[in-house]
Amino acid sequence: MAAIIARDICKGFGSRSRRTEVLRSINLEIAEGEIFGILGPNGSGKTTLLSIFSTLLRPDKGELMILGLDAKRDASRLREIINISSGASNFPWSLTVKENLRQSGMLYGLHGPRLARSIDEAMETMDLWPYRDVRFENLSSGIKQRLSLAKALINHPRLLFLDEPTTGLDPQIAIKTRSMVKKIHRDHGITVLLTTHYMPEAEELCLRIAFLRKGSIIALDTPSRLKRDLHLGERVSIRFRGSIDEEALFAVPGMISASIEEGRAELMLERSEEGTSRLMRLFSHTEVLDIKMEEPDLEDVFLELAR
Amino acid sequence: MSLRGEMNKVLSTTYKNWTISKRNAFTLFELIFWPLVSLLSIGLLTRFLETDQETVSFLMVGAIGLTIMQVCQIDIAYVLLFDMWSKSIKNTFVSPVRGYHLVLGALLFGMVRGTIVFAILVISSKMAFGFEFLAGGTWMVALFLVGIYLVSAFIGMVVCISILLFGQKADVAAWTLSGLIMLLCGIYYPVDVLPSSLQMVARMIPLTYFLEYYRSAYGFGSHHILVGFGLALFYVGLGLIVFEMAIHRARRSGILLRLSE
Repeated sequence: MAAIIARDICKGFGSRSRRTEVLRSINLEIAEGEIFGILGPNGSGKTTLLSIFSTLLRPDKGELMILGLDAKRDASRLREIINISSGASNFPWSLTVKENLRQSGMLYGLHGPRLARSIDEAMETMDLWPYRDVRFENLSSGIKQRLSLAKALINHPRLLFLDEPTTGLDPQIAIKTRSMVKKIHRDHGITVLLTTHYMPEAEELCLRIAFLRKGSIIALDTPSRLKRDLHLGERVSIRFRGSIDEEALFAVPGMISASIEEGRAELMLERSEEGTSRLMRLFSHTEVLDIKMEEPDLEDVFLELAR
Repeated sequence: MSLRGEMNKVLSTTYKNWTISKRNAFTLFELIFWPLVSLLSIGLLTRFLETDQETVSFLMVGAIGLTIMQVCQIDIAYVLLFDMWSKSIKNTFVSPVRGYHLVLGALLFGMVRGTIVFAILVISSKMAFGFEFLAGGTWMVALFLVGIYLVSAFIGMVVCISILLFGQKADVAAWTLSGLIMLLCGIYYPVDVLPSSLQMVARMIPLTYFLEYYRSAYGFGSHHILVGFGLALFYVGLGLIVFEMAIHRARRSGILLRLSE
């Protein structure tokens, strides 16, 4: 079954005379059990789309089925089986980790031993036991983020929305958060839909990715297919001593982009025998100090799509 | 969802308000300091003016009624105020709670706090000014309190609705509404002294009837308590419907997201 089927979703804000269209005719289908990423620059509509899927916002237009339920008609029932965690999430400041989880569990109607078990499991999964009696206002950003993830697990959701889960976290904590997302997905079989503008994160976590730009999906596929289909070629970095004929460099067959700065050439090149041999000939007049060849990453895809 | 589950959705707000309040030193001011300051000021004024015991009772009923209403209505408003101040309103509205869960849960806590304040005030007013709060019997006190709690629920909901419609700026409504009520409902004077147009407005506010009901036990005219309850229940019902509509509208306008940023 599809976890999400969105058809022609549109959303705008503001009065009629000063209206800003944030989402334009979004069509999307996400399978159950998938980790799906929505990428895009700031203001592209990622958070708005996630908020619509999590029923915090109502679309102006379009049909939305989530886990087999109509998101407009059955919103209340739907909220029982979904949850959301946002980067830079907030909770009542004076409540402790455990109290915040208890209150969140009660909002979902959990009670008695089931509530206690859900709190314990969420704290266990997110390694929050040592912080259970610490007030939210005294937690570090990393622990706050873990609390937000724990809160999102409290009702054992079938679909979890993560809105920029590692934004503002230091690299070490971001790595830990990503591994926790993988753990949640692996251990609980939850469908995860996340937004991020951190490309390696999407590449590491997501099976499929949608690129959002100015409220429209401009590309949707697996990371590897996106890279392949855009014909981005390979990234070649050459460190050299000497001078190079820049015009001839641009004329190399398959050359997509090239920049030369202080003895360093950064090239994007579609691999071909002819192109490689022409490149080698060009650099044979210089002293080559180092060569690196890399597959393009999502950052390159993103930059290409954002052009 | 089982009945226990529904109850826990209601109690989630009670739990939150209780947990936040017990850690907040200002709670003691809300429960003891301000109510006593207000009561003692009025009581001492009656001493200065050398009023008779009936007038003292008249003013004590007004002062006690207003204070309980202020304490209870702010508890209902806290449903969204606490979330708004901590920018965590998203967490509440992504969950399957409805407006009535939030209001009922907060009302429960407000009733507990209101009853504590009532106990403090009647004991203090008896000791300091000889106010016999049980002159009309236990039932009268109970009905008076229930009436006040219903009015508080409505006012608290108006604050919540204003927040969902107008955002941060609306929290000022939490304090101004009870001021308006004080002016119109005859807290410190009978509504007969108001201009006739304002008397009509006063007659549309159930608190007017609950005050008259309690005061009737001290020889101040007749009462129409059933009209008061009829109006109060109507306003609470209306408030719940409009609150639900305001939540619906907030999901359209995006204010829930703006209040969480």
